[in-house]
Amino acid sequence: DALLGCHRSYRSRPTHGIGKFKYLLPKELPKKRKEKVQVKEIDAGTEYQYGDVNIQMTSYDLCLVEHFAQYVHRLCNRLSIRVNESYAMPTKTNEVLFMEEKGSKMQLDAVLTTHQRVVQIRGLSSTFAPILLEIIQSSQPEGVHLLVKQHTEADFKSRLKSRPELEELLAEMS
Amino acid sequence: SAAAQRPWKLFGAMCLLRLPRITQPLEKVEEAMAALMEQIELEKSHYSDHEVRKLEEEEQLKKKKESLYDEDEALGKTVIMAQDLEEKWEQKFLQFKAAPRITDADKNNDRTSLNRKLDSNLTLLVKQKIGNQELWLLPQAEWQPGETLRSTAERAMATFLGDHIQAKVLGNAPYGIYKYKFPRAIRTENNVGAKVFFFKAFLQSSDLSQAELKADHLWVTKKELGDYLKSEYLKKVNRFLLD
Repeated sequence: DALLGCHRSYRSRPTHGIGKFKYLLPKELPKKRKEKVQVKEIDAGTEYQYGDVNIQMTSYDLCLVEHFAQYVHRLCNRLSIRVNESYAMPTKTNEVLFMEEKGSKMQLDAVLTTHQRVVQIRGLSSTFAPILLEIIQSSQPEGVHLLVKQHTEADFKSRLKSRPELEELLAEMS
Repeated sequence: SAAAQRPWKLFGAMCLLRLPRITQPLEKVEEAMAALMEQIELEKSHYSDHEVRKLEEEEQLKKKKESLYDEDEALGKTVIMAQDLEEKWEQKFLQFKAAPRITDADKNNDRTSLNRKLDSNLTLLVKQKIGNQELWLLPQAEWQPGETLRSTAERAMATFLGDHIQAKVLGNAPYGIYKYKFPRAIRTENNVGAKVFFFKAFLQSSDLSQAELKADHLWVTKKELGDYLKSEYLKKVNRFLLD
């Protein structure tokens, strides 16, 4: 009898719900789809802090750009500057055609891909900003273009894809 | 009011830097590491499209030589072979000549030209008369009440190099300060000494043809600064110059 007995945790038994743990974990709210632009910080206040600053690095060479972006990110971590985001913009492919007009018309093609990485920083004090800029400038690798600018809504929206069908429907409605 | 007037004279000095154009040569450890990483990556990597195409065409050629029935199939395909492309690219590469890393100015050790050490920062030094002596200094100008120290430094730069310089000053805060007291003969109650505030600017374009250079000027690297500046001055300037 003892061998055959099945001690399943049934609802009437005191061991009911013995393995449950999900009630102990913190509650996860369902994710919202739409993300709106974050609130900007004071730009020229009494403490002279910059708001969101974008450091954009573009190059033809993927490895260089990625490594440089990693380097900048780690530098900011070490200097305890808060890094909001570090993302990549979509790559652009350019086809280069050579038209040789001496002799027969030859078209030599070359395919170039342009890669762009962005590191977003917040809370940069204006006394420290020129030093940081100088460090980044002097450690730029060859072939990498650097651009440092303030974050705007246009920058945020350039990452989002436009929906032509939605826009058409909205135009029809209004 | 005379009572509120401070006994120190204020100067704003501009440290004009030309950023390096070429990367510095790698050290031995770095070179060895780079070679090792390249070898590892080469051995781990897969074949690229071009290499796959080249191998396929080599196999086709071999088959052609051994047997004849592949000629009918391969008529339309082999217009340009991958091998031909490679040879063309190699020829183009041989025609390309890179600019020399060590320029003429380096060989002559001509310190007044900007085409000198292309892999390090160059600072502008100017000969100025202070008191009775003519000294090599960073270009400086006296501060007029009512203007910011940064504009004093920019004015100093403009007096020595003309108005049309494309130099970018990054921030409003000075990088360093050097203060000294005048010798006892000139010292008065209101004139104890002078404080020089240093600002940094980066030269955007290397075209100085429009610049009117009035006094003697030099472009020097950080190591060569010691030949020209006095020791106390040099100490303060070295604090904010990166190598």
